[in-house]
Amino acid sequence: MIVAERKPFAEIKEKIKDYKKLLVLGCGTCVSVCQAGGEKEVELLATELRMVNKMDDREVEIGELTIQRQCDREYIEPIIEKAKEYDAVLSMACGAGVQFVAEILEEIPIIPAVNTRFIGVTADEGLWLEKCRACGNCLLADYGGICPMTMCAKSLVNGPCGGYKDGKCETSRERDCAWVKIYERLSKQGKLDRMREGFSLKDYSVQSHPARQVNEAYTKPELAAAKEK
Amino acid sequence: MAGKYEPKVVGFCCHYCAYSAADLAGSMRLEYAPNVRIVKVMCTGRVDTLHLLKAFEDGADAVFVAG
Repeated sequence: MIVAERKPFAEIKEKIKDYKKLLVLGCGTCVSVCQAGGEKEVELLATELRMVNKMDDREVEIGELTIQRQCDREYIEPIIEKAKEYDAVLSMACGAGVQFVAEILEEIPIIPAVNTRFIGVTADEGLWLEKCRACGNCLLADYGGICPMTMCAKSLVNGPCGGYKDGKCETSRERDCAWVKIYERLSKQGKLDRMREGFSLKDYSVQSHPARQVNEAYTKPELAAAKEK
Repeated sequence: MAGKYEPKVVGFCCHYCAYSAADLAGSMRLEYAPNVRIVKVMCTGRVDTLHLLKAFEDGADAVFVAG
């Protein structure tokens, strides 16, 4: 999932200071799981904003709403009319959600309330770790399921550098060397010979941005026709 | 402002201990300040940050959790 963290309250407060009617819009998917921008976080932020406005003697109407996904048109469309009743939308979704809501609502300013951090996993209660850089050319099968693009400080894909010591990275003694981990994993799988074979070249050309993904089976006929021309 | 300041206090009390104690106090005809409003919860583990913030938002001057 995409992991995010809420922005500092002072920063949010500064960005919304000109608006008198504000909709706090949560997202019920990734940011909900990582406790940054789901329904509960919307309630918390809205409550904090109401209290600070009361203390500052400011009349601001704060609305609350959480939709299943802000990165999906079908969930945004039902709230367009509601959103238009507000001066601005404070979105608690990841950067993708914020941009898509902004694109659909267009005239209404959208302010992000979270910082989007990475694609990761829930490692423990309240702990999320980055696991994937979305490089577009997954070679995890070769690396025992450990991504050197993400886990190695230098993103080396063909073996360790000379800087590791006692299984730790030279950039930080707290950080595991990805390649030591890969060695250990392949060893457990009885596939150490995999390391002797050398690794295939990585195709970095697929990393052009903004990336685009099409499933032709689901593409609307008019789009397919436009593509053929 | 007329009269002295009387803070509004909201207390979230556990059904099995703090609330029972308050109940017993009532049975024993012991008085506690009328500006304390008690909210019974089945367990204080149920109390969430949101409950505390909402209490403040709705005008409480102090909130306590007892359990």
